[in-house]
Amino acid sequence: MSAATTHPFQTQPSAARRSESVIFWLFRGATYFVLLCGAVVFLNIFVKGSRTVFQTKAPFVNTAFFTESPESLYVFQWQGQKMELGDKEFRTFKEKNPAAANVKAESYVYCAGGIFPCIVGTVLLVVGSMAIALTLGVSAAVYLNEYARDGTFIRFVRLAILNLAGVPSIVFGLFGFGMFVIFFGWNVSLLAGWFTLAFMVLPVVITASEESLKAVPKGFREGSLALGATKWQTIYKNVVPYALPGILTSSILGIARVAGETAPIMFTAAYVVRDKLPWQVDHFSDFFFQGVMALPYHIYVVSSKIPQNEYTERVQYGTAFVFLFIVALIATASIVLRSKLRNRYKW
Amino acid sequence: MASSAPADDRHFIAYKGSFRLFGLTLDDCIRVFFGGNAVVSIIVLALITYFLFREGSGFFGQNRDNLTVYRHAGLEYVDFIRTQQDDHAALTRYLSDLRVRQFNYSTTDKRLSLAAANAALAGFDDFAGQYGDSVEPIRTLVSDLTEQTTAIKERFTVMEDKKVERTQLLAVGKEAEAAAVRIVPIDFVAELKPILGTLPAYREASADFAKRLTAVLAEAPAMPAPELQTRMDRFQQLNAEYMAGFPAVTRNLETWDYNKPVPVTQAFSSFLFGRQWLTASFWQDWYGVIPLVVGSVMVSLVALIIAVPLGVGSAIYINQIASPLEQKFIKPCIEFISAIPSVVLGFFGIAVLGQALRALSQVAWLSWVPGFPYSERLNILTAGCLLALIAVPTIFTLAEDALNNVPRAFKEASFALGATRLQTIIRIIVPASLSGIISAVLLGLGRVIGETMVVLLCAGNRIAIPDFTAGLAVITQPVHTMTGIIAQEMGEVVHGSIHYRALFVVGMLLFFLSLAINYAAQRIVRRYRISIG
Repeated sequence: MSAATTHPFQTQPSAARRSESVIFWLFRGATYFVLLCGAVVFLNIFVKGSRTVFQTKAPFVNTAFFTESPESLYVFQWQGQKMELGDKEFRTFKEKNPAAANVKAESYVYCAGGIFPCIVGTVLLVVGSMAIALTLGVSAAVYLNEYARDGTFIRFVRLAILNLAGVPSIVFGLFGFGMFVIFFGWNVSLLAGWFTLAFMVLPVVITASEESLKAVPKGFREGSLALGATKWQTIYKNVVPYALPGILTSSILGIARVAGETAPIMFTAAYVVRDKLPWQVDHFSDFFFQGVMALPYHIYVVSSKIPQNEYTERVQYGTAFVFLFIVALIATASIVLRSKLRNRYKW
Repeated sequence: MASSAPADDRHFIAYKGSFRLFGLTLDDCIRVFFGGNAVVSIIVLALITYFLFREGSGFFGQNRDNLTVYRHAGLEYVDFIRTQQDDHAALTRYLSDLRVRQFNYSTTDKRLSLAAANAALAGFDDFAGQYGDSVEPIRTLVSDLTEQTTAIKERFTVMEDKKVERTQLLAVGKEAEAAAVRIVPIDFVAELKPILGTLPAYREASADFAKRLTAVLAEAPAMPAPELQTRMDRFQQLNAEYMAGFPAVTRNLETWDYNKPVPVTQAFSSFLFGRQWLTASFWQDWYGVIPLVVGSVMVSLVALIIAVPLGVGSAIYINQIASPLEQKFIKPCIEFISAIPSVVLGFFGIAVLGQALRALSQVAWLSWVPGFPYSERLNILTAGCLLALIAVPTIFTLAEDALNNVPRAFKEASFALGATRLQTIIRIIVPASLSGIISAVLLGLGRVIGETMVVLLCAGNRIAIPDFTAGLAVITQPVHTMTGIIAQEMGEVVHGSIHYRALFVVGMLLFFLSLAINYAAQRIVRRYRISIG
């Protein structure tokens, strides 16, 4: 300790400082503990799920898991070997080996095949509900930000939006079931699921869109109006185009939420199992009135509705991996895009 | 000026050939279109309320009918006696608990071998056996009566079904078939006569039971340790209270009237304050929401106890203490956690966390923690931990916003007065943003209480009020929740049945609960917002 480094304003060690640093470390610990918990969940699913999704041989990805429907798994002893075959393979195997016709096989439901119909179903649900939610939400935000003047009516609208955001997802499920499935008689269908999910995510989209619209400077509107454009022309040409990237990126978080919800589609759109793929319908109109399989519901089914055994873990973790991967991808895209956008538009 | 405007319009090129719909110009139409979309949120809210009421409101009428049948068919009458029997069973359980304690005392404190300990308990076992058998006269009576009353109820249900069948036939115009449906109204007075006739038999049985009980209790064995003896004394006291209740049972039976109307309020109170949710039972279905509410509240409490310190702590850290680099990295990460779908978290709870926590509870040096070790893998604690992970991002984001809104001048003034950073944070920043933090916590609670998949998968799904006598150990018991029960049973019920409607009423309760929480959060923010300047 040389004399040069000591000066009268140097921080002196004291009890107060020590306790301050201890408490700061506590806050820091809390923060990193939360991150650690999140990381544990992610890593657990990713590590165990990658065993199902990836394989050591080329093409390194278990393509069957992505392209086939869920099947039952048959396990049996054959000429001293333990065989594990899916439903279709087992049938062809029996045809090839007539001696195996009466072999005693244990069957495990949903443990073979893939999750292709679930992926398709989830994509359809997300695309449809987001189309509805974006149309309704962006229009509502345009009204709230461009047309409306403060008044009782607008206060009510804002109150409704705030309250709608807090309604539990299962209540949306009940509502969708009561209104679309029963009252409108749509049965368990894509259409019912779309509307239920769209209404659920509506507050998120409206809030996000309004923020983006608010960020467009007033001068843009005034300039356009001064040149003689009508209100609509101003909005259409000079406001929405600049707000659109913001609207879309913020709405992506809404997409992640829609994709992740199980409770609203449980009674409105999801089937436990369905043989046909969504486009295998007789009439075009039937497309909208069919139930689909969905990833989150499939996870629920395989993790609690079927008897657990050594083979179920494979499909459970595989499905969870794919699902989490999709949702994480969407969320990352939204976060990255948003920070990019923040840097690009500065006015 | 305004009246002459249309005449002038013709001269302006801009208005030439302008499009009009219902007297509105194109711009007005667009405005109305956007306005219509803005109203959608109000409409949706109204529709949710309407459809929950539409499907659920029939419940209370049906529940009243349900309770009326319970009374008319004499089930209530039998339940008076059955309660007496059940209370005896509870006392028997107390006795067997005492046996376990005595056994442990013999083996651990006295260091007797297992055989010797069992031999020492021979007198006690004899006593317990006699005590258990003393209820026999009552038990025989109850099982006879149960058969008879369920038969009455069964006949009544069949007749009701036939009535429905007839109205359906009439509705489609098949009058001949409708006339062929034979409906014999149940004559409850006649049906109940043999049941009410058992009252003297009951008096006799009850007296017999009381006599036997007194005789058995007089020979209660002495306990080897003072701690056990106090328990035995307590047992004697409980029995004395129990037997003092016998005349009340008899009185209930004497004054019972099958025709006493069930008040309308009971249809509500039996739902709101009912302590049993029992469906598809052979005896009587109960729709009491208390076990579910208690389950939801317990799980949410555990989640908040974990999530509030973590969420608020990390918000303070990120907003006040962290370096800009940390801020840039951690904020998106926590947002990322909020994107984890709840069903994946629930699956994680089943596959990993449940087992991990149970293994942790069985570590020897942690046995001082209340409730440890436990054997139920899925319980309040497991679900609460996962829900905390769901609540943390919500609380973090909102609390961070609130901290951010504290004016810079507050902080600078505090520093200028010589306060340290910690003092500034604790005395200035947090109090100034307290309303925002509280509303963040409330919104986190709303998020947690409405969460479905995690509790459905991880809370254990046992429909019973947890045993609060266990103290803090109550958090290691399985429960069922409001959201969980809807998700679990909705798929299996018959449309329009009382059970179906009961689930909608639970949904209604949940809906209003969430509205109330939301309202409180907004109120707090608006009421206690600090004004700048």
